[in-house]
Amino acid sequence: MKHGLKSPLFWILTLIMLVNIYVIAFYAPVEKTMGIVQKVFYFHVASAWVGLLALCVVFAASVLYLWKRSERTNNLALASAEIGTVFISCTLLTGPLWAYPIWNTWWTWDPRLTTTLVLWFMYVAYIALQGGSATESRKRLAAVYGIICVVNVPLVFFSTRWWRSIHPVVVTSEGMALTPKMKVAMFLSVGVFSLLYVYLLNIRLKSLDLEQRVKRLKAELFA
Amino acid sequence: MPKFWRKVFLIYLKDLKDEFRTTDHLLSTLVFGTMLVFVFSFALQLVEIGTAQVFPAVLWVSIFFMAILALQRSFAKEQDNGALDALLLASGDRSILFYAKFLFSLTVLLLLEVVVVPLLWIFIDVAGAKANLWFFLGAVFLGSWGLAAVGTLLNGITVQLPGARLLFPILLFPILIPLLLGAILCTQGALVGEIKAVSGWMYLLVIYDLLFTILPLLLFDYVLEG
Repeated sequence: MKHGLKSPLFWILTLIMLVNIYVIAFYAPVEKTMGIVQKVFYFHVASAWVGLLALCVVFAASVLYLWKRSERTNNLALASAEIGTVFISCTLLTGPLWAYPIWNTWWTWDPRLTTTLVLWFMYVAYIALQGGSATESRKRLAAVYGIICVVNVPLVFFSTRWWRSIHPVVVTSEGMALTPKMKVAMFLSVGVFSLLYVYLLNIRLKSLDLEQRVKRLKAELFA
Repeated sequence: MPKFWRKVFLIYLKDLKDEFRTTDHLLSTLVFGTMLVFVFSFALQLVEIGTAQVFPAVLWVSIFFMAILALQRSFAKEQDNGALDALLLASGDRSILFYAKFLFSLTVLLLLEVVVVPLLWIFIDVAGAKANLWFFLGAVFLGSWGLAAVGTLLNGITVQLPGARLLFPILLFPILIPLLLGAILCTQGALVGEIKAVSGWMYLLVIYDLLFTILPLLLFDYVLEG
């Protein structure tokens, strides 16, 4: 597979992202009361979605690693955690942009906000645990921690929800509080961001793979 | 099964004996805890905030910080001379080691709290007329239980990584957030004597504690492998 500017995937993804931005900007209607600032919602939700998707991948890859012990599954968990951190950071940054004009505060201790922040901390802790020399024990311990984190997420969410909630619940079991055109824009964003996730994951996996190959070759050379 | 718990108990006794033979670590942790409590109360006094209202928050943050020092001890003492491998050979089951270390950590934590909690109570001058003392003690106990369980599990992880002492609190705190929430609300409810309103949080603490006491049965084998 070709990489960078030579890769057709890169250009396809760029094109879809441009379409996505066009849809968000011009196709989806401007929200009546919130105005233009509501547009950040499409980026906010999509990156939060990828953050959670990445967490699921970390969990699955961690379980697989403990089971099969293949280097690839550990790479997958690490790469997914790194990309998840980036997207969760985007969620945490786009949230206040909307919250300040609408809630009149940059931050509030709502369950979703709190859970997202805790999730961010866990991602960072996980990456810190994986960091340094990639020994077998580090990978194994990181996999255990990845599983603990995923067990912890629902605990954090439900305990904080029990405590209080003011976050708008856009997607409920009864449907969505969005106009059809907004729905199109939202689903497109979610899809595009998921594709971006897969694309980035692929690149990172490749780079981790190369890193390990270089290390192996070095070891062979100086053996 | 009795044999399992007998082994747990023996390792637990060994750890306690060892800890009281050289009390320097326990004492330093205690001094650190009292200092924390003093600094917090003093700082709050300076800004003249209604200190009795902040008691639950200050209490648990102090306990968390103290726990960083107290809980790092459980596996760290087995690092020299391959003691951990010997222990594993002797006990034969990794979860035995977990439960022994967990009980040890819980005991140490409770011992420290016996001094630190009353001290904070006095410094902050809590109006405890309506307080439900049993509920308060229950909250402290369940909170410490969860803290010891998660701390022991994560200490088993960080102790194997050279130079990863700093990682311990970083790994620990995000996992403790539900516990922090439940413990603080229970403590607050106990202080104002409205335990009906917060009894749900007690259940949360129990569920959290049970989860992180049982989860190591599945995970601890992988932690101490190799």
